[in-house]
Formats: sequence, structure tokens, C-alpha cells
Amino acid sequence: MNAEQKRAWLGVGSGVACVVAYLVILPFLGSQVAGAAFAILGLNGFAPLIGRGEKPDERDMSIVRNATLAGAVASYMTFILGCMGTWFIVFAWHREPQVSVHSLPMITFWAVLVVYLVRSAVILVLYNRHVEADNV
Amino acid sequence: MYEITNCIRRLRFEHGEMTQEELARRTGCTRQTIIALEAGKYTPSLALAFRIARAFDRGVEDVFEFKSDHPQ
Repeated sequence: MNAEQKRAWLGVGSGVACVVAYLVILPFLGSQVAGAAFAILGLNGFAPLIGRGEKPDERDMSIVRNATLAGAVASYMTFILGCMGTWFIVFAWHREPQVSVHSLPMITFWAVLVVYLVRSAVILVLYNRHVEADNV
Repeated sequence: MYEITNCIRRLRFEHGEMTQEELARRTGCTRQTIIALEAGKYTPSLALAFRIARAFDRGVEDVFEFKSDHPQ
């Protein structure tokens, strides 16, 4: 297992731990306090410390590039769908004139979570699949 | 559709049972990439293909074979 795979496992682990913590806290303290669970994603700040001596080669870079693109696309879609969903629930469904100030941070937190989860999962999958160099 | 196959494994053994680590060192990639190449799980860049061929003192087409559905 190389450094990228270890970092990806950290991303998956912290992402899953974040979701579990959020779902455990949610019924007792509500979504605003449960949002503190997203602090677990801060563990990814230690990712650069993993395998500092290892230099990635072209295959590693190709995999990371593809995974980052997939994570960014998934995150963007999460953000847009979150915004549209909020608009639909608040304005179109409940007919309320204003949105909670907590809505945008929560949508952003979920979008960040999706980046880490999708990027990490794609890295782990691509290391076991056929990959082509970017300039074959 | 196309497929690029290689005979890196055979060439390693023909060159004094060169290890994957040694080939990786000579070509500037990781051993994991050599393993993926031999397993057909990675299609290398042109630059890496040339480096691998040179490590065996061969031409690129002696190491890699290009198979395509398209007529030549």
C-alpha cells in the first residue's frame, strides 16, 4: 500500500466516522449541534504527513487527478442539489419567506464531505482497476 | 477499442532476472507501477514506455504491442 492509498483510507475513514457521528448526534441534539461532527474531517489535515518521503510516479498522479476530478464533480452536484433542495423545501413546500442561516454552512459541509469520500473511494478503486496514463 | 500488451515480465527474466524494484529504479517509477504494467492494469505514457524499452536495450515495439479494432 503506497502513501496515496493510506491517505485515501484516512479520507474514507474520517468521512464515514463523520457521517456516523452526525447520525448519532442528530436525534438527540438536532442538526445544528450535529454539524460539529464535520470537525472530524479536519483529520485529513494530517494526510500530507503520510508517506512524506515517497515520490508519486505518473500512475499515482493520473489516479489522483482522476479521483480529484470525480470528487469535485460530485461535490459540485451535492452543493447545487443541496441549494435547490433547500429552495424547494423552504419556499415551494413550506411557503416560508426565509431560509435558516444554518442552511448554507450545512450544505457546504456536506459538499466537503462528499469531496473527501468520493475522491478517496475513487483512488482506492482505481488502484485495483485498469488505468491509462494521461498522455497515452 | 484498443489494447496495449507488453512482455516486460519475460524481458526482466531474460536480463538476468532483473527485479521489479530494479526496473522501477531504472525507469523512474514505482514498483507498484511495474506490477500494474505486468498485470496489464496500466497503460503507460509514451515517455515511460520509451524508458522501459531502453532499460532492456530494445525498441518500444519490442516491449509493447498495440492491438486495435480500427483498420490500419
